[in-house]
Amino acid sequence: MNLPLSFRFAARELRSGVRGFRIFLACLALGVAAIAAAGSTAEAFRQGLASQASEILGGDLAVTRQSKEFTPAERATLERLGRVSYAAASRAMAEAPNGNRRLVELRGVSDDYPLEGQVTLAGGMRLAAALQPQGDAAGVVVEQALLDRLGLKLGDRFLVGNVPVVARAVLLGEPDRLSRGFNLGPAVLTRLSTVQSGGFLGEGIPFGETARIALKPGVSLRAARHAVTAALPAATFHIRDRNDAAPGFKRLVDQLEYFLGFIGLASLIAGGLGVSGAVGAYLDARRPSIATLKALGADGALVRNVYLIQISLLAGLGILIGVVVGGLAPLGLGALVKDQLPVPALFALYPWPLAKAALFGLLAAAAFSLAPLGQARATPPAALFRQDLAGRLRFGPELIGALLAAMGLAALAIITAPTPISAEVMIAGVAVAFLALFAIGLGAAKIAGALRALTAGPVRIGLANLAGPHSAARTASPAIGLGIGLLAVVVLVQSSLIAEVTVTAPKAAPAMVFTEIPGDQAGAFDAAVAQAFGRPLAPKDYQRFAFATGRITAVKGVPIEQAHIAPQGRFAFDNDISLSAIATQPADASITAGQWWPATYAGPPLVALDQDAAEAARLKVGDTVSLSILGRDMDARIAVLRKVDIGAFGPSFTLVIDPAALAGADLRQLAIAKATPAEEARVTRTLGASFPQVDVISVREQLQAASQLFERLTLAVRGAAAVAGLAGLLVLAGAIAAGARARAKEAATLKVLGAARWQILAAYGIEYGAVGAVAGLAGVALGAAAAWPVVVKVFEATWSVDWAGVAALIGAAAAITGAGGLIAALYALSQRPAPVLRAE
Amino acid sequence: MYDAAQPCAPLALDGVWLTLPSAAGPVEILRGLDFTVAPGERVAVVGPSGSGKSTLIAIAAGLERPTKGQVRLLGQELSRLNEDGRARLRRGRVSLVFQSFHLLPNMTAEENVAAPLEIAGARGAGRTAREWLDRVGLAARRTHYPHQLSGGEQQRVALARALATRPVLLFADEPTGNLDQANAHHVADLIFALAAESGAALVLVTHDEALAARADRVVRMAGGRVEA
Repeated sequence: MNLPLSFRFAARELRSGVRGFRIFLACLALGVAAIAAAGSTAEAFRQGLASQASEILGGDLAVTRQSKEFTPAERATLERLGRVSYAAASRAMAEAPNGNRRLVELRGVSDDYPLEGQVTLAGGMRLAAALQPQGDAAGVVVEQALLDRLGLKLGDRFLVGNVPVVARAVLLGEPDRLSRGFNLGPAVLTRLSTVQSGGFLGEGIPFGETARIALKPGVSLRAARHAVTAALPAATFHIRDRNDAAPGFKRLVDQLEYFLGFIGLASLIAGGLGVSGAVGAYLDARRPSIATLKALGADGALVRNVYLIQISLLAGLGILIGVVVGGLAPLGLGALVKDQLPVPALFALYPWPLAKAALFGLLAAAAFSLAPLGQARATPPAALFRQDLAGRLRFGPELIGALLAAMGLAALAIITAPTPISAEVMIAGVAVAFLALFAIGLGAAKIAGALRALTAGPVRIGLANLAGPHSAARTASPAIGLGIGLLAVVVLVQSSLIAEVTVTAPKAAPAMVFTEIPGDQAGAFDAAVAQAFGRPLAPKDYQRFAFATGRITAVKGVPIEQAHIAPQGRFAFDNDISLSAIATQPADASITAGQWWPATYAGPPLVALDQDAAEAARLKVGDTVSLSILGRDMDARIAVLRKVDIGAFGPSFTLVIDPAALAGADLRQLAIAKATPAEEARVTRTLGASFPQVDVISVREQLQAASQLFERLTLAVRGAAAVAGLAGLLVLAGAIAAGARARAKEAATLKVLGAARWQILAAYGIEYGAVGAVAGLAGVALGAAAAWPVVVKVFEATWSVDWAGVAALIGAAAAITGAGGLIAALYALSQRPAPVLRAE
Repeated sequence: MYDAAQPCAPLALDGVWLTLPSAAGPVEILRGLDFTVAPGERVAVVGPSGSGKSTLIAIAAGLERPTKGQVRLLGQELSRLNEDGRARLRRGRVSLVFQSFHLLPNMTAEENVAAPLEIAGARGAGRTAREWLDRVGLAARRTHYPHQLSGGEQQRVALARALATRPVLLFADEPTGNLDQANAHHVADLIFALAAESGAALVLVTHDEALAARADRVVRMAGGRVEA
């Protein structure tokens, strides 16, 4: 192998410039830039999170306990580790003097809160000053949403529970907001003593107290964790440190990176046709040179190396452009939106995401370039005599290399994914879709060939071109279809989820949830609700259950910390869960295994467990779980597994226990109701007088908030998915550019034969419009096939098709490709026939 | 290995058939062709279009494989060699000149002439190329690219490229077919003069009877066979 000679010849060949490689460069650069930008953005969030971990957590270590305050002895242990700030969080109803009521997230904080960072208040007021009492009213800072909802302004008095408070400032930001969970209402921040004395931390009331510790110098996280674990009773607390400040957000960033990276990968695959087409067209144009080199005595390896070097250099250039654009784009975007981001981000150039993107690009370039290169190597020298001779792709080093690169691409995507199984499914989906689109393109070309005999004029020319050897149905159609398919997945999943929260869920789910109903006043509560509604209550629109929160502390004797639990079920084991005690099997129990206990059962504790949670922990009927409920520890046998639909109108509890197991406990009650907005307003207001301690949660409001969030995300997600569509357009542009010369000749010949300009324009418009329509229809069909299981199986939502969106996708595909055809025709028509025909 | 000093034929075709597939069914291009060239012999091949003249060159130079029959080039039976083996056999010893020149478009005249020498691993390829360009009267055009040269100039570059390796056998396929009369004369003179000077055997395919008449022997082809 004569490498210096290969390099010398390659350098000479490259003198003609990169004109034929613009689409090659653009396709590679686009995919690499998308992956690099996704990785760099995610890394910016990760680094931002890491740099402010202590602020986000509110200290080096956070110890949280549910439904029980820390004892003085426990506080002493915690305070030996460093400076400690305490915060107690509860939910309560806020009530304005005009009778308007709203559930709020109430937090009481100790004087030294926050240990790290600053609470931001509108107007620049200091927190300590804002929380000063005013007469008998405690000082509070509130989110603007609460003032708006209750019709209050700063300085107004209102009630939280039974405690009079005065709104002193608008709360804009808390340093540790990100480390806390989902909110059901606007935040109200006050002094810890106000929450303690206001009855919000009583026995049986769900609240959490968190101690945030800034460790003394010399105290390691490990030692501190050990000290806390030794001092506090096991399974009564959660402990987190600054390395795990916002686990939910970290997971979100991982998923976001993968989603955006996947779109980049799909763009690379869609653009791969452009890469392959550009390499093929370039090598096709070089066929006489290749045959000449062989006639001069060059062997196949020399020919292969000459062009491999050129393509490698150009691939390197495309990847470099992608890395530079993908690395710089988040920097630019970050500079623009940094102040509006709700989370910390450190935008910078991070080498690993860029290296990963470059590796994806390199593997994609190899996967899509090596096959045409192998074909070029096999070009027979007899092509000098017979122009129709082209090399046949044979099993050899190039094909092996292409297959290895494709496998490497898939392996890299799986290795770098947060969940390999979803990556495998997505990659398999893209591969199947790509093959299906390719087959559909071939089929469309064949059908066009069969139909052309039935037509005449421009339609016949269009169909003949569609069936011909350089048909865009075979080249551009799969790439456009893949782009449309990805957009269709996004459109259909989003439209189904939006329909779920705006149409399906409001019909199926309760409109309101009432919590903290005293067990001994349940009957009176039912009557109060019925009176407020002005109608008798029926099980179809009002149900009430005993309610408590508790934790599963061990499965089959293995403590949760040591048990193997699949991620999708961890929600039931890592946190306190909602549970109920029900004697008689409910009408809609949805039992999948086992048998409900008899109504009078009084033996060892039995439970009915959510099937998803059970599957995650590999639990089955007959297995034992250890529980901690209302301060009681017990082992319970699983009697029933059931499908729990959290959004449904019924006993949607992860765990139901037989009532005898909690005998003697003062269980509060929870009620769910379907109500019109007017009934909801009425009952919320009237319960303020009769049941002020009952929290009223508006599910309608939560669904509206979710709907607004989806709407806000729609544009961003569709914009990201459009990158794959852009790759399809690049491939179309490549196909048009590669055929430009042949088109010019064809148009010139047609002109010589007497064809009018409109006939030529119509022929090309029909041809490319058909390519777009086929790609659009096939893409939407495949997109729907991919979206359906996501909607129905993953999100367990109702399948709902956004027909307008689907029609827009298909129409846009046909219109854009048709327009591409017209541009090709206009170019061809702009060439003077005589020189074009003479050149041949 | 072929020894040019030995009186053995550098080219011998024995009962060569070439059948190519086509949409309308198989087409027989060559039908039992026998053809031999002696060392240093200048043979002109003439015949009507489609008689198989150019295919004879493609088969003889190992650019195409026959369907049937034997081809011995420089003493080697070509059917025993794969494509790379045939390329190595041609390297530096068998040259071709084509009607449409087939210069490498991205290489200058000098680089085009040097290319086969470089492929053969010859030392001083550039110097040799410049000498040969000088001999065909194109010293001043050595840095020009093919598209910057006239047809006649391109063919002279192609001729310099073919002879720069001092081949044992030179195939020329209609070398003057694309040239005007003056250029055609000039190129034909060069082919015969330079082939004689280097001692290369010459197989010249042409329609031009006058040009064919300058050869030692004229072979007439028709219907894929040599006419008796």
